[in-house]
Amino acid sequence: MADPRRTARVARYKPPAAETNPALEDPTPDYMNLLGMVFSMCGLMLKLKWCAWVAVYCSFISFANSRSSEDTKQMMSSFMLSISAVVMSYLQNPQPMSPPW
Amino acid sequence: MKNFYIFIAFLFLPWNFSVAKYNEFEDGDDIMEYDDNDFAEFEDVNEDAVTESPQRIITTEDDEEEATVELEGQDENQEDFDDADAQEGDTESEPYDDEEFEGYEEKPDASHSKNKDPITIVNVPAHLQNSWESYYMEILMVTGLLAYIMNYIIGKNKNNRLAHAWFNTHRELLESNFALVGDDGTSKEATSTGKLNQENEHIYNLWCSGRVCCEGMLIQLKFLKRQDLLNVLARMMRPASDQVQIKVTMNDEDMDTYVFAVGTRKALVRLQKEMQDLSEFCSDKPKSGARYGLPDSLAILSEMGEVTEGMMDAKMIHFLTHYADKIESVQFSDQFSGPKLMQEEGQLTKLPETKKTLLFTFNVPGLGNTSPKDMESLLPLMSMVIYSIDKVKKFRLNREGKQKADKNRARVEENFLKLTHVQRQEAAQSRREEKKRAEKERIMNEEDPEKQRRLEEAALRREQKKLEKKQMKMKQIKVKAM
Repeated sequence: MADPRRTARVARYKPPAAETNPALEDPTPDYMNLLGMVFSMCGLMLKLKWCAWVAVYCSFISFANSRSSEDTKQMMSSFMLSISAVVMSYLQNPQPMSPPW
Repeated sequence: MKNFYIFIAFLFLPWNFSVAKYNEFEDGDDIMEYDDNDFAEFEDVNEDAVTESPQRIITTEDDEEEATVELEGQDENQEDFDDADAQEGDTESEPYDDEEFEGYEEKPDASHSKNKDPITIVNVPAHLQNSWESYYMEILMVTGLLAYIMNYIIGKNKNNRLAHAWFNTHRELLESNFALVGDDGTSKEATSTGKLNQENEHIYNLWCSGRVCCEGMLIQLKFLKRQDLLNVLARMMRPASDQVQIKVTMNDEDMDTYVFAVGTRKALVRLQKEMQDLSEFCSDKPKSGARYGLPDSLAILSEMGEVTEGMMDAKMIHFLTHYADKIESVQFSDQFSGPKLMQEEGQLTKLPETKKTLLFTFNVPGLGNTSPKDMESLLPLMSMVIYSIDKVKKFRLNREGKQKADKNRARVEENFLKLTHVQRQEAAQSRREEKKRAEKERIMNEEDPEKQRRLEEAALRREQKKLEKKQMKMKQIKVKAM
């Protein structure tokens, strides 16, 4: 069989534009980021410890699902916010969390 | 004898006084009683002695109780007295031996709980207790986080190993077929990177190009999200498998006009709903491939029977039969434009761009529990892909088939135009208005009054001409109608 390779016919890789295919994108990291921020604000304002912990979890999940092209600054800011929410809740009220049951 | 009795009586006197005083602190009610009957006690010493001792027992038991209540922080027995008094009472009880009265605590407890309000024991706030045990919820949370991080590292590494195992297995075949294997689009020159592009912790890309017939081939290794613990837990309920998606973009001259798909019935039904080209050109339900010797699990969607006949040659049937468990879907389409786009009504003015494409979706065996060795079993499927590329180039529709295909495409385009007619009219109208507005703006902005007048006149003339043209057209139509 003849060599099927043709060096002359090489085409460059073009990353598929994400705007044209919104259905192909996975919305998980964006949702989790937003959720994380909402929970950290709730935890900070309403002084709810469980909110702050859930925010930490959300930011971790968002990080695990993120695309490599995404901005790390956004991830880091959400992570820092959730950590600060946890720390502030414990500084204001050092009592341990009571379970809901 | 009489003297002896009197002597004993006098001995009891001071003792009785002290008890009386003691009792003063106990029952405010009884103070008056004793004041009046101080000397009444001496009348019946024996009786008093007898009565005094149980009272004494009781009072000391009260003290005991008081002492214990004091520790708890509540005083139910001393509603009328200040804390200072209670403390005094406690100090007075110290000379008494507590051990003597251990067994008696239960009775007064019962009577007191009936008579007085129940004692509420206040808990010491947990953060004042110096024990880690009270923080067990926090420890649980941190353990959960650590477990998540561990799972992230393990999952990421596993996906990485699987991707590289796949690439190592397929490298030779790809390099013998394509001039460019691996490109991330960023480097200036088109040189093979020989590496996978990592898009995600679970998605890896590979672009191959430089072959006869096709423009390029994009391979996407879509692994399961092993790095996300939530996903891992969800997969325990609903098993899924890793997928390899291959998209071959054909040159325009190397593929004829047809739409064809083969795969599992479930996948085809879903694709028919989702994909623009399959929904428009393959209107029938997926047919069973048993007619061509395919296993029952596979079904066929085709634009016309001739295409199916042409595609299902011996070698293709061999591939499909042997690797049926790994094939999810195979789609050959000259009108491929991706999934149906959900657009607002006002936006759709043009048909989406189409490309001649071959799409292959394969499932990695193992249903999630894949090992790097399983990647070797996918190598024959890549051979199938290469074979399909060559086959599609060779396959041409006969005259009838071509006519049918052209008719189908014209029909689809017409439908689309009808749907968008209104939108296109509106778009044209708005464009005309924009032009007029721009003209007026120009006229207004013109500073020189002479020039302004001239431009206005020119605009008026143009409008008049347009009106005349329209009138002519209407007349012509009327004449024709007549």
